[in-house]
Amino acid sequence: MMIITLQIHRFVDEKNWIQEYKVELKKGMTILEGFNEIKAKQDPTLSFTSSCRSSICGACAVRVNDNAELACEVLLESLVNRYKTNTLVVKPLGNFRVIRDLIVDWDPKYEKMKKIDPVVEPKAAFSPEKGCKQSIEDFDKYKKYAGCILCGSCVSECNKSALNEKDFLDPFIFVKAAKITADSRDRSPADHLRAVVQAGLWKCLNCQECTAKCPKDLDPAGAIEKLKAASIALASDGSVGANHAKAIYNDIYTKGLLDESKLAVQSEGIFSAALRVPTAYRLMKVGKLNMFEKIPENKEIHQIRQLIDIAEKEDK
Amino acid sequence: MSKEISRRTFIKGGVAVGAALAAGTYFKWEGKNIPLDVREGNVTYDVLIIGSGGAGMRAALEVAKQKNLRVAIMTKMVPTRSASTMAQGGMNGCTGVTDPEDTVESHAFDTVKGADYLCDQDAVEYFTEMAGKTIYEMDYMGYPYNRQKDGSFHQRKMGGSSHARAAYYADSSGHAMVHALFEQCLAHNVEFISECQLLEIVANDNKFSGVVAIDMRSGNLISIPAKSVIIATGGYGRAYWIRTTNPYSSTGDGIAAALRIGIPFKDPEMVQFHPTGLASNGVLLSESSRSEGAYLLNKNNERFMQKYAPKQMELATRDIVARAIETEINEGRGIGEGLHAAVYMDFRHIPKDILLERLGQVYDLSKRFEGVDIATQPVPIRCSCHYSMGGIEVTDFKTTATRIPGIFAAGECSCISVHGANRLGANSLSEVLVFGRTAGNGAADYVKKNASYTGSKEELQAARTKWQEKFAEATQRTSGPSVVEIRDKMAETMWYKAGVYRDEKQLQEAAVEIDKLRAQYQNCVVGDASHTYNTAFMNYIEVGNLLEVSKAIVLGAIARKESRGGHSRKDYPLRDDKNFLKHTLVFKDGDTYRTEYKDVVITKYPPQERKY
Repeated sequence: MMIITLQIHRFVDEKNWIQEYKVELKKGMTILEGFNEIKAKQDPTLSFTSSCRSSICGACAVRVNDNAELACEVLLESLVNRYKTNTLVVKPLGNFRVIRDLIVDWDPKYEKMKKIDPVVEPKAAFSPEKGCKQSIEDFDKYKKYAGCILCGSCVSECNKSALNEKDFLDPFIFVKAAKITADSRDRSPADHLRAVVQAGLWKCLNCQECTAKCPKDLDPAGAIEKLKAASIALASDGSVGANHAKAIYNDIYTKGLLDESKLAVQSEGIFSAALRVPTAYRLMKVGKLNMFEKIPENKEIHQIRQLIDIAEKEDK
Repeated sequence: MSKEISRRTFIKGGVAVGAALAAGTYFKWEGKNIPLDVREGNVTYDVLIIGSGGAGMRAALEVAKQKNLRVAIMTKMVPTRSASTMAQGGMNGCTGVTDPEDTVESHAFDTVKGADYLCDQDAVEYFTEMAGKTIYEMDYMGYPYNRQKDGSFHQRKMGGSSHARAAYYADSSGHAMVHALFEQCLAHNVEFISECQLLEIVANDNKFSGVVAIDMRSGNLISIPAKSVIIATGGYGRAYWIRTTNPYSSTGDGIAAALRIGIPFKDPEMVQFHPTGLASNGVLLSESSRSEGAYLLNKNNERFMQKYAPKQMELATRDIVARAIETEINEGRGIGEGLHAAVYMDFRHIPKDILLERLGQVYDLSKRFEGVDIATQPVPIRCSCHYSMGGIEVTDFKTTATRIPGIFAAGECSCISVHGANRLGANSLSEVLVFGRTAGNGAADYVKKNASYTGSKEELQAARTKWQEKFAEATQRTSGPSVVEIRDKMAETMWYKAGVYRDEKQLQEAAVEIDKLRAQYQNCVVGDASHTYNTAFMNYIEVGNLLEVSKAIVLGAIARKESRGGHSRKDYPLRDDKNFLKHTLVFKDGDTYRTEYKDVVITKYPPQERKY
């Protein structure tokens, strides 16, 4: 018989504390069953949300040892094995406002979702009476993304959201955008793309936390990359995405290194870059960005230029 | 220490400093999630919808087409957590796209026969006529249908259907429906009043005034005046607690609220038990397991369906397979004990790649909860309460109106009735879409004809004050049985005495036991006095609702002295059309229940013996 200790971060009526509970590990016991047992037998005040207990409704995501998990599908035993300890620390999802204990507020997320006009606008050839047509290949292009359950696991450890979530979308919203823009029924993927770029697509730090956390293996970071590629393909029309790509190209061609301080100015224009100064300041403080240091030239710049030239020729 | 740091650590380090400057995630909750004018009862809704599953959201979209009507969806969770998300197989509707031989009549007949003739055939005809249209409509709303070569959605054949007519998205058809509807709701700016638990629908002397609810986040009790309400709160599978496939939220809230204001609960005894729930926790293994060819075996390795449905074998309808399994267990040919006794479902003759491709979810669930690799071992399964055919009595299927003006019902909480004594697989998603739409139109038309609010805000206010007192009283109680104890006793009574098989003696015992639990409930301990997101109080309300629903199930089962569809009486093993080709109506007046009957509507299909 194994006893698991759950150290749960509590928050009730403005008071925060960590409360320790012990549960006896049973075969097939999930995190959620652990919570249910505590609530039924030890402490009715422990609060969390859950509904389907078969990983499809998305209600029960929490953080265990600082990683988001869907409580109804992850076995306590597997966590004990992964972390090599019987003591697990449970917190509410990160990058959400906490209402109580493990319960977080979804309203602001839904409001953000509206920014991308999150719905397929079918082409003129289609109608509600006769439906739409779509090839199996076209269906395959987005079917994976339709599996998102809005559990919020992907944003919990999202570094960009932790830094500043106001000028960015949650990874699950990018997944939704990737789904809609890849759906051949939609008449105006470009409109959705512009909205996504406006809402901060290129600000992703590419840390891959979302992809690591998604319980449905939807690869939100991959969705973000697809959206970026689509936004470049969309136009050299002065959209933010295309400019960002141009800035990267110029840096690599002239210096062989990425000048991240210049990047923001070139891709967004002086004015909007100024609005990002607080972010830049924070990055400077941790040494990721130094405005005052001249960017050195990569010693092998000639070789790099040669490579780019070859690539360009081949492309033509 | 190594000099190299991982990319994750590097980015985390950078972000940690930045994020420290931003506000933390813990805030004081000010209850502003609900607009002040709504909270204070100063907004009168034209249509208020309770429940954000398929029926609720579909209804809202229909009402939202009328720009001058104010509509909102109230839900006890956030919008996409409903039982609808759990539907796997698909949505039935005759389109002829995959099987050109299919006809609306065939769908209607399959539905009527599946229902063991207890449905109203006029409603079934309307339903099957609309079901195909709904599939096309969802295509236009962005539903991610699996496709076939000609670019149309693909349809598959489900248990009890004579043609391939269920359109689907992988094995997550309900999930895809809910999210497609939610996208539409966001795009059309449908107002959500999220995380509010319904406490009471206020209607005195057939005059509807509005609803009283508790806002979970702030703990504020709110009363919302409305000209009409659509109840779309789903089923009550949790009456059987551990032995159900339903989510924790399926607690019959809307049915109980309707009972209390005089709307009868129609055919409450008609509970569907899905044959293949996991032995350990009741979680559903999809019906597609059996469509893909899985065998059912007893402990002697016999394919026992030979005895019960020699033609259709494992593909017979749910009620027949469920009874076969329970008979095997009762006669000692099962494995295990008590609530976890079981038989086996065997996939070993199906190639592993096919299992992984077509039954990925079944494979995962068996592995996770039972520790069984179905490619090499059979998995223990048992019946699990799956669906409630009965529900709030709807008096007009063309509007989903109930007998109280202004109150409508749709989805699993309603009884229209198209499922009769047994629902066919993939008819539930079609039902929520067809009747969600109908309810939206019905309520909108009603409000257009009855433009002024005729309810009583004083009565609403009084009801709210009563609940305020009740909250204080119930949450501060310190001695008495716990909510969980009552819940578990209720589930045990319901499973053993009003479950798959029933008889007079056990049902009478169940009635006494449920009454005893209802009495204990009056003094039970909630155990949490906080106003902030008090889930203990929510569970207390839910168990109270389940007790009222359970009482009605038992009374309906006692009254129906025959066996039909989901209702099997050991002491009356045959269908009795002479005495019971009629609906049961259970009423609640104050604290006493009474039973009445209502005739079944028959149009084209005279009752026949039901054989598969």
